[in-house]
Amino acid sequence: MNSAFNPDLSSAHHDVTVAATGALGLHECRKGSQVRIINLQPQPLFGAQDENITLRLKELGFLPGAQLKIIGFGLLGSDPLAVQVNGTKFALRRAEAAKIRVELISGSH
Amino acid sequence: MAKPIRFALIGNPNCGKTSLFNRLTGARAKVANYPGVTVERRSGPLDLPHPAELLDLPGTYSLFVTSPDEQVARDVILGKIAGEAKPDVLIAVVDATNLRLGLRLVMELKTLNRPMLLALNQMDAARTRGISINTAGLARAIGMPVIETVAVNRHGTDDLRKLLAEYAENCAQHPLEEGMQPLALSRQIEELSREESIEDLYSLIETIVSEQVIQPSELPRWQDRLDAVVMHPILGLGVLFSILLVVFQAVFAWANPLMDFIKAGKDSLGETVSFYMPAGILKDFIVQGLIAGMGSVVVFLPQIIILFFFILVLEDTGYLTRAAFLLDRPMRGLGISGRSFIPLLSSFACAVPGIMSTRTISDPRERFITIMIAPLMTCSARLPVYALIIGAFIPAQTVWGIFNLQGLTLFALYFAGVVSAAVVALIMRRNQAREEFPLLLELPCYRWPMAYHLFMGLKERVVIFLRRVGTIILALSIVLWFLVSFPGAPADATRPAIEYSLAGQLGGFMQHLFAPLGFNWQMCIALIPAMGAREVAVSTLATVYAVGENSAEGALGTTLSQAWSLPVALAYLAWFVYAPQCISTIAVVRRETNSVKYTVFFAVYLLVLAYCAAWATYSLASWLL
Repeated sequence: MNSAFNPDLSSAHHDVTVAATGALGLHECRKGSQVRIINLQPQPLFGAQDENITLRLKELGFLPGAQLKIIGFGLLGSDPLAVQVNGTKFALRRAEAAKIRVELISGSH
Repeated sequence: MAKPIRFALIGNPNCGKTSLFNRLTGARAKVANYPGVTVERRSGPLDLPHPAELLDLPGTYSLFVTSPDEQVARDVILGKIAGEAKPDVLIAVVDATNLRLGLRLVMELKTLNRPMLLALNQMDAARTRGISINTAGLARAIGMPVIETVAVNRHGTDDLRKLLAEYAENCAQHPLEEGMQPLALSRQIEELSREESIEDLYSLIETIVSEQVIQPSELPRWQDRLDAVVMHPILGLGVLFSILLVVFQAVFAWANPLMDFIKAGKDSLGETVSFYMPAGILKDFIVQGLIAGMGSVVVFLPQIIILFFFILVLEDTGYLTRAAFLLDRPMRGLGISGRSFIPLLSSFACAVPGIMSTRTISDPRERFITIMIAPLMTCSARLPVYALIIGAFIPAQTVWGIFNLQGLTLFALYFAGVVSAAVVALIMRRNQAREEFPLLLELPCYRWPMAYHLFMGLKERVVIFLRRVGTIILALSIVLWFLVSFPGAPADATRPAIEYSLAGQLGGFMQHLFAPLGFNWQMCIALIPAMGAREVAVSTLATVYAVGENSAEGALGTTLSQAWSLPVALAYLAWFVYAPQCISTIAVVRRETNSVKYTVFFAVYLLVLAYCAAWATYSLASWLL
């Protein structure tokens, strides 16, 4: 198991610490903000296939260090959301967006 | 003759594989059995000096697949399809405006160590956008030939064709020996450390792109502005409903003049033939069996062309995935998702391609539910039946100032299908434990639809439709004609001849089953050939009511309006909304679910639903009217 894919447990389970370091889930970002990916963390909702989803996200370009732009949101609340990475737009649900920990470059959350 | 060299097109979804395929194989490709997004491999001959064949595969992002259509691509590439050799040469197709994502798959494919070349597609769009690619440098960096292609342009694939000819020549002269084929490729892939390779590949791609490619970091402004409207939670829905309204309006209103034209042609053909042919059994067969049977179906060609035209345009422009994005949340409440939107929309044309395109859904339960409810979307084969009965029974009066009562009835039938689908999905969802699946849907850049690609797509659909008329519907018309013509009435017959025929006897037997719904034996008999193709119900009714000959405009409608009561007619419509009246749909459900149990469940639940709905409609309407 590559350590890069293990969650940073401190950030996964103690949101207080996360807020202090400026990391947040992609699903918490506002429309129009630019963010940079810190890491991808597990999502218990996905059960056994979670690891494969992490890998697929990476294959699509959601890698640590990649810059994202939040383009818009679906019908109700912020679900699903549309983001742009490497010039390609993707629709993600909150569940998979929450896997992606990011830091703000510009915009607010 | 030498064995043809097999080339396979592989690349991300939406990178233009199918338009390249159309360009390269031209009009000679075998037409697929069912239209729609590429979810199955298809092949066509390549016009090269050496015999060669081109395969078009479903799009995939990775060899580590997450949905059944991606699995098809992977299995073909790795030679895992039984009885089918691996393709000799891979043509990786990359959208030049979406390089990184495409190159990642190319680099992954490269680890398979197979003869391979790269087609940089949509180079014209890339140039307009200010992207410039050093093709020679890129070829050196990734270690395979790189060819620029423009599928829009007639000559845009000439270079690729030349290179393919060289490959074919080369392959023919130096066939790879068995031992040289990379061993146990599947094992190789599983051993390949996926986790590390992703990051390594991307950093490699980053280096290559920064050295060989100059590209603006932003997408064109108009793309983002369009998305701001189209994907807006409120404006976007307005856009979506307006588009759907225009599509349905077009299908039902614009098609009319063309349909009248075809109908007139059919009628005059029938009259001409009956004028010149001597009376007798052969004339009956040709006029009432063939011309009336097939003609009443060909009439619907304009509607089908218009519907498919819109679906193709919406798909090619990249709009459909935006609609899927907008509808994801509401559809999720039903246990399906935005990914089910395109299969369900295609089911309005025909459930068969709709059910096939559920292969793009990775969640098996969502896919199952989508398959089960797809036939509740009113397919184009039901239109003829609806149109006939509505025309005969519903007055064309205006209600509430703007609506036509006939149009409203038609809308109500479509609406009934959609609402029932939602209810069925909801019930099925409740019986299943839920595990979340990601949406992860690419929203491709907007593009102008390509005229050539559009033309090829429409041509394919027309061919499929006419082939159906020439085979299934022809056969059904012949069988039906026999059933209604034999045995003839006895000399002392008191009732019409048809009641003595096989069809009459069969209908009389079925009538017992359908009595609670108010169906008469003529209606019952029409249900049988309609199992092969729903639209044949119309020609069957025409035949059993013997108005195929010298039919004046609306003759069948007039006959029906005298023979049936309104509640019965409404019950018949309700039956057609639900009944699994289509062998091909049942067959495709069997194939896609790969389960007899599910197929039986599918057919039974729809039959029960149809029976109950028709009974309820009949009882309610009889009580009210």
